[in-house]
Amino acid sequence: MPFLQPRVDGELRSLLDDHAWLHRMVDALGSPVNLVLPGQAVENVRRFRASHRARHLGGHVFFAHKANRSRALIRRLAAEEAGIDVASLGELQSALAAGFAPERIMATGPKSREFLWLAARAAVLVNADSVEELTRLAGIVETHDLPRVRVMTRLSGFPSVGTTVLTRASRFGVPVTRLGPLWEALARHGDQLDFLGVAYHLDTVGLPEKVAALEGCLHAMDEAARHGLNPRAIDIGGGFGVSYLAEESQWEAWTTELTGAVLGNRPPLTWNGHGYGLRNEGGKVRGALSVYPAHRAVAGPAYLDRLLDTESMTLRRPFGTLLLESMFDLHIEPGRALLDQCGAVLTRVEEVRDDGHGETLVRVAGNSADIALEQHGVLMDPLLVARDRSAQPDPATASPVGVYLTGNLCLEADLITRRKVFLPGRPRPGDLLVFVNTAGYLMDFSAGNALMQPSARTVAAYRGHDGWQWCLDENYWPVTGREETA
Amino acid sequence: MRYDSVTDVIGGTPLVRIDAAVHGLRNIDLYAKMELFNPFGSLKDRAAWNMVRDQVTAAAERGDTVVELSSGNTAKALALIAGMHGLPFRSVTNRMKVPEIKDLLLLLGARIDELPGRSECLDPADTDDPLTRMYHTVSASDGGYLHTDQYFNDLNVDAHAFGTGPEIIADLGGRVPDYFIACVGTAGSSTGVARALRTHDPAVTVVGLVAQKSDFIPGIRNIDEVHEVGLFDPGTYDTIEAVSSDEAIDGLLTLIRRCGTLAGPTGGGAYQGAVRYLRTVDATLTDRRTAVFIVCDRVESYLSYLRERRPELFRLPARAQSVHALTDDDLAAAHTIGVADAQEWIDKQTPLVVDLRSPFAYRALHIDRSINIVDDLFEEMLHGGLPFGRRQPVLLVCPVGEKSARYAALLARMGHQDVRSLAGGVIAWRDAGAALVRD
Repeated sequence: MPFLQPRVDGELRSLLDDHAWLHRMVDALGSPVNLVLPGQAVENVRRFRASHRARHLGGHVFFAHKANRSRALIRRLAAEEAGIDVASLGELQSALAAGFAPERIMATGPKSREFLWLAARAAVLVNADSVEELTRLAGIVETHDLPRVRVMTRLSGFPSVGTTVLTRASRFGVPVTRLGPLWEALARHGDQLDFLGVAYHLDTVGLPEKVAALEGCLHAMDEAARHGLNPRAIDIGGGFGVSYLAEESQWEAWTTELTGAVLGNRPPLTWNGHGYGLRNEGGKVRGALSVYPAHRAVAGPAYLDRLLDTESMTLRRPFGTLLLESMFDLHIEPGRALLDQCGAVLTRVEEVRDDGHGETLVRVAGNSADIALEQHGVLMDPLLVARDRSAQPDPATASPVGVYLTGNLCLEADLITRRKVFLPGRPRPGDLLVFVNTAGYLMDFSAGNALMQPSARTVAAYRGHDGWQWCLDENYWPVTGREETA
Repeated sequence: MRYDSVTDVIGGTPLVRIDAAVHGLRNIDLYAKMELFNPFGSLKDRAAWNMVRDQVTAAAERGDTVVELSSGNTAKALALIAGMHGLPFRSVTNRMKVPEIKDLLLLLGARIDELPGRSECLDPADTDDPLTRMYHTVSASDGGYLHTDQYFNDLNVDAHAFGTGPEIIADLGGRVPDYFIACVGTAGSSTGVARALRTHDPAVTVVGLVAQKSDFIPGIRNIDEVHEVGLFDPGTYDTIEAVSSDEAIDGLLTLIRRCGTLAGPTGGGAYQGAVRYLRTVDATLTDRRTAVFIVCDRVESYLSYLRERRPELFRLPARAQSVHALTDDDLAAAHTIGVADAQEWIDKQTPLVVDLRSPFAYRALHIDRSINIVDDLFEEMLHGGLPFGRRQPVLLVCPVGEKSARYAALLARMGHQDVRSLAGGVIAWRDAGAALVRD
């Protein structure tokens, strides 16, 4: 069977094994329910910190807030050795309210004047996208008589060494081939702007592009010093990735089967024969599979290690060594990778029916904005949690059923995933489908109230003195009630 | 033998019998078609030349660029042929996975374009992939490109249907082998040879070898990738089997160490896949049969590929004066000195201050009047003995005082009498507010 079974580890696994608890959640709060595990996020921060520590590197891990709106997650991270990357005025307010000290907040992305003012007023680190933005910020600082703001500048368009590494053009950042105006602006506004260093953020899983970018940043730092600046940190953004599936072999088998389905060598595996970027041209497969690589051999902190251990082509030393030797702090902004195994979306099965053309449709109380697998191209199976424990299909004996998952919107396009999903047995109304490992981007990234369907309640689960406890996301604070000293 | 052009030397490669004591097959004579003897070093010389031969003069007049989606032997052969005719060559590739080939192509004057990696945050609006876009650009008829299009070009197949295949039949005394085993890359050689052999005798069994899916063997496609190949027709092969990179390397080692054949991984994979397939056949045979496989290219370009997968093959003897050979006692005996004491020592004794960081970091900021000897160079110098007198005071500096302590220990073990390591390194120096300069 073309399963794509998710990897479920540690704390999340322990919580999801309690089926009765999951049903009580959905019974009490309605479907869907978002579940977040702040404790696991802390563990993930520690793993990233270990990469820095092993190389004696300074710098912070800034959680990319946009990956999840949960307050519990960021309040918990505020209590730890973590920073936060905010990309809007609202996110900045949310980070300040969660207790992040300004020196651990970095403002990134496109910025409104209001966003810039609050960033400068609160004295957070501003990662600027352009020279114009730096000039605007300097103007705000001067006009409102605000203290000097720490800034970094995002660069783009890095050249490669030896071969030409073609990269996707980015709308963001100052081109490295035209840095002159940047140094001029920083010199002109030295009283308003304290230049910390340069940044890149590349939307790719490809190591060679990141290597070219890091190389370019090191040379830009050198150039900055030659222009009399005192640069001391490089920000390499995020994009460390998550490996979603338990078995590489399932991912390989499924992608092979999809190739076969596109060629018409086997029945379709997708709604309306969707090819996920592949198409059949005269019996040959054309195009490229445009989905998230659901199984990744190297992801998260291991990907960071790989990057830092890669040797610079021009400087002939590993990047980690070069950063340390140059006394540069290394800032990183993981989003998805920091929320690996930090949550799940619980949905109730509303209806199971045959469509009259041989397919089984399973409708859940939730939609493709609540569970954004399709939007983000992540292909993995949900877990089936039967209402009645005795009806739970035993994978050893039950016969798997291929179904299409539809949502609660009155729209033809509202499929939770266009992939045919294979479940261990035929679900029944009242059962739960649990979409695991969805905390990073797949939970509430673009959820709304389309058709006035209810939005998910978010619940924070944490370990108390007698097992798992939970509370509504907005009520979570990282205090235990047992803090009194003797 | 005299030739007017090196391209005249392409083809006409020998067919060499593999010793039965090596492969262990009792009823089958196994022959290797030695394509590594082609002038540019591989089977692809035939296809490359056949694809451009009739067009290269006109392309030179127009000033076209030769372009191919290749990161291996086809690119290499085309780069050399293009160079001979005064044309630029451009290779477009997903990823250069073999560094030696990349360096070689650059040496040959090729331009290499690597396609971008997959997007981390998926952009559903991006409906077309970079490879397809590139393909459309270079295939336009008046685009200034001679696109050889090896995965779809029938001239690639013809090079083998009229060259490699008939040569095998001639060398076997006009007989077709009972088995032909080939790795599938562009499918050009396997399709062409199979066509020639079948025309002569339809009884031949053709075995296609592909790479296991998560594995990588340079020059062989995996079971999904072959479906993207225009020349690939499943009907060509009686059976298709997968080989792993492990098997390819085992085969390569057998060919190199026992058969005097400097085969690369593709040849190794073909040998190992052939023997594996033939072993089951051999058990059922009572009369003699012949089998042929292809040794595509030579091993020298794959040393880093081999080093990565079989580091034990490259084991180097440990050197005596090395920081890696230090004992815990050596390390404990190393002298370290804090920032304040070091400043005083520098003022009074003017020790030689050796900064072990990279020139890049040194150039940006360093301790005044220090000299820069990067650590791997310093280690290389120490293999030859002490590079300064035993009594010359030396202060070693690294980022955090870890490496410098190891070198201080090594110098002490070598008999140096006054070497110290800066505790906490240049970072502690900076954090203490001590002066750093940029000369």
